[in-house]
Amino acid sequence: MPPKNNSRRMDELLASVTEDLLEGNPQQFEDNSIRVERILLEMVRPDPVQPRRVLPEQLHLAFHSSRLTPTQALKELVHLVQVAARQRGRPFNNVLELLPNPDDDSGDEQDAKLSPEEQLLRDLVNLAVTIRDDGQVNPLTVVDVSEGVMRQFRIETGERRYWATWLLRDFIPSYDGDGMIPCIIIPAERSSVFRQAKENTARSGLSAIAMARQAALLLLTVHGYQIPDAAVPNDFYRQALELDLRGKREYTEAVLSAMGGIKKTHFSAIKSLLRLSDEAMELADRHNIEEFKLRHVVAVSVEYHAEIVRQIVDFNLTSKQVKELCQGDGLNDEDNEPLEKLPPAAVKMAKVTHSVTTTSPQDFVLALIQQEGDPAIALARLQAMRKLVLEAERLLGGE
Amino acid sequence: MTRTFVLTNHKGGVGKSTSATTIALGIAGVLRRAGASNSRVLLIDTDSQGHATLVTTGRNDFGAEDSLYAVLSADRPNAAQVLSECIVQSTWDPDLHVLPASPMLEGAERELMRVAGAPYRLADPLSRIANHYAAIVIDTRPSFSLMTEMGLIAATDAIVPVEPRYLETVGLMSVMSKINDIREGWRHPNLRISGILVTKMDSRIRGHNHLLDELKGHSVLGKLLIGVIPANEAVSYAHHNHLSVFNYDPKAPASRAYAQLVGTLVRRMAKGGA
Repeated sequence: MPPKNNSRRMDELLASVTEDLLEGNPQQFEDNSIRVERILLEMVRPDPVQPRRVLPEQLHLAFHSSRLTPTQALKELVHLVQVAARQRGRPFNNVLELLPNPDDDSGDEQDAKLSPEEQLLRDLVNLAVTIRDDGQVNPLTVVDVSEGVMRQFRIETGERRYWATWLLRDFIPSYDGDGMIPCIIIPAERSSVFRQAKENTARSGLSAIAMARQAALLLLTVHGYQIPDAAVPNDFYRQALELDLRGKREYTEAVLSAMGGIKKTHFSAIKSLLRLSDEAMELADRHNIEEFKLRHVVAVSVEYHAEIVRQIVDFNLTSKQVKELCQGDGLNDEDNEPLEKLPPAAVKMAKVTHSVTTTSPQDFVLALIQQEGDPAIALARLQAMRKLVLEAERLLGGE
Repeated sequence: MTRTFVLTNHKGGVGKSTSATTIALGIAGVLRRAGASNSRVLLIDTDSQGHATLVTTGRNDFGAEDSLYAVLSADRPNAAQVLSECIVQSTWDPDLHVLPASPMLEGAERELMRVAGAPYRLADPLSRIANHYAAIVIDTRPSFSLMTEMGLIAATDAIVPVEPRYLETVGLMSVMSKINDIREGWRHPNLRISGILVTKMDSRIRGHNHLLDELKGHSVLGKLLIGVIPANEAVSYAHHNHLSVFNYDPKAPASRAYAQLVGTLVRRMAKGGA
């Protein structure tokens, strides 16, 4: 007998049942409330375009391109920290050893020397131990992004708690949980980049680079760009450099409010941090360098960004020092005064150090050849200069 | 708490798979039409013959890696994740998801016999993903095997399909007592007998009418009667075409009876009652 497959008539049949069911209470099955549920950890994933990063950049990208599982990503992080810790003379085998010893009075002194990765892992271990002892008191906020049979939830807030729970499950002995994590589930249609931005900016510790990514996401959204659901390179965020709020007056207030109620000029300054090179961005993000220091770096040639940011980190430079470092002609007359008593050649050489960040090696070589008229003589001049620089460095170090 | 219906009877050919698949599809359809925020239904096929799997997915080639067998043999901490990875979408309805059976389930019972906690191998991982579904329907094999026990332990509501024949109704009491054994013996107070479903009822046969009347008049069993599904050729033709009877012939008497049954079950789910 041929099939009488007729989905319209099947609809009619089930619709009549539904009608009977809904009689008197048409809304009885509608539930638009926000649910709190315990969800299998494996079904929860961090947001790949979340401006606030937990994992270091390399691990972040590897994890979100599915080259690493959560356990593998944490294993890599632990390994990274183990290497750094060994170099600093405090090797550890178990992550619990990272927690400060309450009987050790010199703890504060050691804290100051922790690398960002060590600090991160230590914070995660601390959080994991709290979850083990007291339970997960504060649920994660997740967005239901399930498709077909694949149940999937994207973290809106609480990525740190997510990683701490994985750490607890796989790296800390005596875990006796069931691999579930409590979550507040937000329907996909109620999730928005504005909501996420508000959550982020309301918390302390959001780095300037994270703020720049956040600003970019908001701008791209209001200009109708599709926000991908996979990890993106910095060039994706840099598209926002071409955009502004001028053509989108209706969103201006919402964007600035989502960014923590900042002014338009501050918003532009934050956005312009996206001009930093990839390496400089990563360094600045990891070390949480402030916007007022980074704004000077943006002004110099891109190949010097990473080096300057590294110097900011290594020497803990102030904003004024960064400004002077970045400006080739930064000395004023007052500063020049004591130098006038020195030999003019030495003063000239000292001034040249201000120009190194604004000159490319190629231009320098060309100028040198033009000046000396012979590459061999130019090379000899450079070697002599290097000798002078090395000697000066030795003297400075001794001082 | 997600209601988990298990269709069980140790007698074969009483319409367990037909009822399980049709009920699962019906609940998903009715909830979606009612505007429920979650109308997904999971159908679990624990019968190694895999008939429910075949008709709802059009496939019978599930094996050790992608079927219930994989869930039962997974390490305990990974079982829930394996379960969620084995679930496939039914060809009948996007909201109907299927955990397929495999012929390997036959061997799984022997393999699990000596494993501690074996009866909970389905209930434990299922409890971790149950809240993603509005309802779960479990089809069992025609025996009181370990696999059936696993289905009962994972369930909240047992539905017993029975043909209106003398020997079938005699066996009914042993099915009920088995369900009670599970509830008491395994400390599973949430499991209740949700109803007796009379299937393949032919009102032209005097014996069928007589037994149905007896059942209705019984002090305990009569109250448990939740539906009568008439014997209908449309059901076997629907199977042959890998369609649900709702789809194959919505006007068939069996379709109307199943729709009525689905209405009863959804009403109970909404009220949270037995």
